[in-house]
Amino acid sequence: MNQSENKLKHNIKTVIGPNHPALKEPVKFIFEMEGEKICKVDIAPGHAHRGLEWMAWRRNCIQIIHLADRVCGICGVAHSMTFCRAVEQAAGIQVPPRADYLRTIYAELERMHSHLLWAGVAAMELGFDTLFYKAWEVREDVMDLLEYLSGNRVNYGVMQVGGMRRDITSDQIPRIKKSLKYYEDLFFQLADMFLEDSVIRMRCRDTGVLSKDMALKLSTVGPTIRSSGVAHDVRQDDPYCAYGDLDVKAMTPDMLGGEVHGDVFDRIIVRLLEVKQSVEIIRRSVDEMPGGEIITEKLMMVLLKNLKKAEGEGVGRHEAPRGEVFHYVKLKAGDESPEAWKVKASTYSNLMGWLEILKGEQIADIPIIIASLDPCISCMDRVAIVRKGKTNILTQLELRELSREKTRELRK
Amino acid sequence: MSISKALNKSLWVFHINAGSCNGCDIEIVGAITPRYDPERFGIKLVGSPRHADVLMVTGPVTRKMKEKLILVHQQTPDPKLVMAVGACGSTGGPFYESYTLAGPIDDVIPVDVYVPGCPPRPEAITYGVVLALKKLEELQKKI
Amino acid sequence: MTLTPAEIIERFQKLLGEGLRNSRIVKRSEGKQTRESVQVWLTLDKSLLHSAVKQLADIHYPHLAVISGCDVGDVIELNYHFFIYYEVPNGEVNVTIKVLLPKTDLTVRTITDILPGALVSEREKQEFFGIKVIDIPDSRRLFLPEDFPEGVYPWRKDETGIPEDMVKKLYEVGKGECGMRKRDDNKQPGHEEKAP
Repeated sequence: MNQSENKLKHNIKTVIGPNHPALKEPVKFIFEMEGEKICKVDIAPGHAHRGLEWMAWRRNCIQIIHLADRVCGICGVAHSMTFCRAVEQAAGIQVPPRADYLRTIYAELERMHSHLLWAGVAAMELGFDTLFYKAWEVREDVMDLLEYLSGNRVNYGVMQVGGMRRDITSDQIPRIKKSLKYYEDLFFQLADMFLEDSVIRMRCRDTGVLSKDMALKLSTVGPTIRSSGVAHDVRQDDPYCAYGDLDVKAMTPDMLGGEVHGDVFDRIIVRLLEVKQSVEIIRRSVDEMPGGEIITEKLMMVLLKNLKKAEGEGVGRHEAPRGEVFHYVKLKAGDESPEAWKVKASTYSNLMGWLEILKGEQIADIPIIIASLDPCISCMDRVAIVRKGKTNILTQLELRELSREKTRELRK
Repeated sequence: MSISKALNKSLWVFHINAGSCNGCDIEIVGAITPRYDPERFGIKLVGSPRHADVLMVTGPVTRKMKEKLILVHQQTPDPKLVMAVGACGSTGGPFYESYTLAGPIDDVIPVDVYVPGCPPRPEAITYGVVLALKKLEELQKKI
Repeated sequence: MTLTPAEIIERFQKLLGEGLRNSRIVKRSEGKQTRESVQVWLTLDKSLLHSAVKQLADIHYPHLAVISGCDVGDVIELNYHFFIYYEVPNGEVNVTIKVLLPKTDLTVRTITDILPGALVSEREKQEFFGIKVIDIPDSRRLFLPEDFPEGVYPWRKDETGIPEDMVKKLYEVGKGECGMRKRDDNKQPGHEEKAP
């Protein structure tokens, strides 16, 4: 848009970002505003582009697992597990069933903590600090359990090509069950707080709507596409690990309210339902877990030698908390490092969805809408508003204040 | 010149992500929740560098973030302290070589406290802030 | 009507004829081995990509996971990872379409007219492989920094790849004589001018 046209319409360009931590996609948003309304959105990601795929050419597959752990700090299991599954397909390794169940348990614990983290952030953006602290209190307990099982709070380092590095012993199971009961009770409290609160409903209903048609066209994934009414869940559609034995069902918002709006409120419903579902999946996996080995090849040197000999390509796929994670690996015989490795994270698929749902919304709704797709907005540091050539810096605090002001107004 | 006494009582922290994997960032936010409650020491996260005494920087500093990091450092009023949280910010850690990194953090801005770990636990981050307080006190004694 | 993997390949065979260079079905099973996951891998002439995707959309509107790629000497392989028959428990089929782009002619037609969600992935391939996507609605850079040199493509393994002098070794920064990190307390950030 040229300068004169800009002046005529009094359009304001608003820049949000660029600092935003979700793995490869720290995003800078450029909004064109017409008064309070957003009429055009553009994104400029890449501020945390570290060149992981390139780094992988200089490392062997086992070293890459630890790199994959650090693609994203929240999805510590998702990426390393997907990478391992891709390598397993490429090298033709079959994982023992017990390892598949262990992977499922870790993946679901991760989903719980990620969704709770998200619930907290969403509450904070709306101005409900009590709810934020409540959600993070529950989350800390999930982290405790993860630490009890894996030894780490964030990057668990439990995955290995061909299985797992750590088993869950029988004396750990009572502790898991006790914790699950505790989460379930707390979860109902949390669900009440979110779903019964009239202000949350007023702020989130019919805000940031993504239609079913657009969700499909833009190849969005995870809770974003499910809240638009498409029952697309990798765990259901293309079962892997233990999910095939557990009959997982994709959660859509009509299971609770009977209808689909595709708005922010529906995304809250879907995530809350999934936390509940995760508790059930973990409970069933713990009960039905078969015995036996947890890894096909215990000796790392032998495994490396086998991987060096392997040739082929494989894909791994996993329904991470934010949606489908996809890895492609190509191995070449005689080469320790993979010939190609492509990581596709969930937010990558949802980028296009952002552009669609932000159109026509108000500036005060930006935080909750962006948060509703679950990138981590906590580090969105500043907003610069260019008004008639002058730049005012709006801090994250001020933007959140705008969002909170709207909540207060609605409360009156 | 002596450092304002108000600094001894409470430290306000601004957190900037310079291309980190999110692990440290989540642990920083985790560290301000009621479980650890650093607010009893007056430690608190703020939303603007202009309010901050301490800059908490995470990540190996990507080329796109380098300028922004320097800008934020300049916007923070003196006296200020910089904390590098996480292994990749201190030495490169798992991202030890790349074409798109300009780090580690101390190659871009001066760092006072390093908190190692990938990611460091909330307790370690709180301890890092305590060390930052000690360093401020020492600086004060020198003056 | 749901087609079996073999029928899917048959449909493509009929449409593309000789252009379908290679096809295979991969089945994998995990957990207690009760369910099978099906993958169909197709290798096509690159000129047929657009019509193949159109054909796939006729079978069932696909979900695109990502476009992955690999530099294998004289050609660049692009893999389009599609999924069809989602929303059905255990019914999803992975259809991977592989096209080979010789380095003498690094062009491929866009599929964004059929699947608008492919834009992000196509833009990424352009900047990382140096290929040219014909008729792409938005060909700006996506992930790389603004000052990144033209003609350098991070995922290429030939002379247009990352030159060694562009690689920063973070572990070597500030290393003193005994391998200890040395810190200069008087060092100030590079830009001394006031912030706006």
